[in-house]
Amino acid sequence: MPPPTQRRTTARRLAARRILAAAPLLAVPLLAVPLLTVPPAAPPAGPSAPAASAAPSPAPISRGRELYGISCASCHGQRGEGTQYGPSLKGVGAASADFQLSTGRMPLPNPRALPRRREPAFSRRDIDALVSYVASFGPGPAVPAVGRGNVRQGLAIYLRDCAACHSSTGEGGALPAGRYAPSLTASDPVQIAEAVRLGPGPMPKFGRGTLSDDALNSVIAYIRSIPRTSGAGGWPLGGVGPVTEGAIAWVLGLGLLVLVIRALGKRAR
Amino acid sequence: MITRWAVRRMLWWLDGRLRIASVARKALAKVFPDHWTFMLGEIALYAFVSLVATGVFLTLFFEPSPAETVYTGVYGPLRGARASAAYTSTVALSWDVRAGLLMRQTHHWSALVFLSAIVAHLSRIFLTAAFRKPREPNWLIGLTMFLLGIATGFAGYSVPDDLLSGTGLRIASATLLSVPVAGPWAGFLLFGGEFPGTSIIPRLYILHVLLLPGAIAALIGAHLAILVRQKHSHFPGPGRNQDNVVGSKMWPTYAFRSLALLCAVFAVTFGLGGLVQINPVWVWGPFRPSAATSPAQPDWFLAWVEGALRLFPPVEFRVFGYLVPAPFLPGVVMPGLTFLVLYLWPWLDRRISGGRGRHQVLDRPRDSPARVAVWSWAVAFYGLLLLASSDDVVARYFEIPVFGIVRTMRAVVLVVPVLVAIVAYALAKALRADPGATLLDLRWRQVAAAFRRRRPEARAERPAASGGEEAGA
Repeated sequence: MPPPTQRRTTARRLAARRILAAAPLLAVPLLAVPLLTVPPAAPPAGPSAPAASAAPSPAPISRGRELYGISCASCHGQRGEGTQYGPSLKGVGAASADFQLSTGRMPLPNPRALPRRREPAFSRRDIDALVSYVASFGPGPAVPAVGRGNVRQGLAIYLRDCAACHSSTGEGGALPAGRYAPSLTASDPVQIAEAVRLGPGPMPKFGRGTLSDDALNSVIAYIRSIPRTSGAGGWPLGGVGPVTEGAIAWVLGLGLLVLVIRALGKRAR
Repeated sequence: MITRWAVRRMLWWLDGRLRIASVARKALAKVFPDHWTFMLGEIALYAFVSLVATGVFLTLFFEPSPAETVYTGVYGPLRGARASAAYTSTVALSWDVRAGLLMRQTHHWSALVFLSAIVAHLSRIFLTAAFRKPREPNWLIGLTMFLLGIATGFAGYSVPDDLLSGTGLRIASATLLSVPVAGPWAGFLLFGGEFPGTSIIPRLYILHVLLLPGAIAALIGAHLAILVRQKHSHFPGPGRNQDNVVGSKMWPTYAFRSLALLCAVFAVTFGLGGLVQINPVWVWGPFRPSAATSPAQPDWFLAWVEGALRLFPPVEFRVFGYLVPAPFLPGVVMPGLTFLVLYLWPWLDRRISGGRGRHQVLDRPRDSPARVAVWSWAVAFYGLLLLASSDDVVARYFEIPVFGIVRTMRAVVLVVPVLVAIVAYALAKALRADPGATLLDLRWRQVAAAFRRRRPEARAERPAASGGEEAGA
């Protein structure tokens, strides 16, 4: 079985080759590849407590096995060996399972759906049970721990490495082939750290050699600080810049003034 | 009592030295038409006043320098960071200067409203054929102000040296370089070397605060002086002819109406400036040639050029051995042709309408379906280019593949405006046949009748009347 990175690369190459027409065909290999796509009206992530620190329930593994059998096994196989509908989960590790489950990307509503951010299907406790069960399939990356970061350092790194896709505002942006980099405003710190370290979907993976843990903590600190300052000056209009500003100038600005001159002037006759 | 005495004494004093009484009497008696569309240009005028007022405030704090400085204000994520003085002083204007953000935002909103009011005013002039003799000079002056307004707007958008506008400046520089032969010379002259260099920010600043607005102010003076000299045009109506103007006098009526509009424009621009965020430069971050943010668009008044740049296929060819790079046709030729046709329109229009005489009485839009068709084509074409410039935003929020949008829009911008023009032509023709009707009164068979009659120009004015009878029968 190929390691996760290699699977991803293959799937990405596939996706690049048949962009649209083959969407249903693609769905199966892509199940391995969380697409990092979030609908704009995505609800905020549910519980934000880091997975690592959650208290273990009396028998998390058995609870995890039970939930896995109900919600995951039909695509990923009884012991995570994978089926024609979904990839193997051996060696994906706790980080990947936690990312997929806590952002609601898994379980998919149907095997052909694209994984995108939703309200999580399970409670935090059940997610932890599932994560520990999936982690038991084989050794893989653990859920990263997020520490305190330096917002100023984070700003510089964010603009250098993240803003080109996720936008300076963190609202996300379009990518080729109908994909998009999702908004980061709803993500909690652990989810951001998981995405950076795992590189789900079209997102590049940033290993420790590229981005140290300190740097990652700083980026997360900056992302978390954006909502506190991005609203200064009033209604931010979705944070997409001149597109909505132009629409407001025409509709609200000139529109209101046209109403005024209609009231001040008269109709021709 | 005392005030009246003081004012009277002052006016006496002035009149004794400047002889203003006769001029003032004439000015106060100037007649303004009452129709509301005559105030569209006034919106632009007052938006310009708002621009100058807020712009003067901004110049007191903005530092147009590329010199690297350390930001020390209250905006946390940037404190201690090094960036150009232009950028840090703009962030300081937004976070550290009292009322600075209000003024910055009001200035930017005023600019957007200024240019949209100019387009609305231009549309009114176009559709009512107010550009005909003797008003061609004001048509040319108005267009020049529009062009200068776009240039001023772009310079203003670029001077803060933020990540978004830096990307825009990069596109402008590439477009300039794409002009065969002259482009590289002009580009190196403007930027003082390779992009971005250290000269462009101060140069754009002087253009933005002195040369361009000075030229606009001078042209506004000429525009209004010519307007007063030629007197207003007016719509056809009872008692209105080529030798009079029907409307309200400056005093005691129109001056107050205009003053109310001034207040309304300030209410809207300051209201938007206080309540709706525009161009949050602290979020965009400082410009670095190696970084980018997406989505990235220019302000709407240049987004039509951006849309053309995004849609136009990347074709390069050689003319007499000189390479013509891809941005040249959509980025230089298309806008150039747009303004060339606009500048020549009064003379092109004569070929459609055949009128060479003086006109004080305006056309109604329906009087010339061809003109309505041309205007509708332009609104659809440039509107769709605006949409094309937003393709990444559309792709993101409607989950449509972005290259699919580009391929579709390439056909849409060519086909849809023509269809829109045909429909507008038919509607205008149906309306012309029934002068009392509005768009909502139209019945389907009237429109169908307008479609059935081919070649309207051949039969000139007469078929309009007979068409009405046909449609009514």
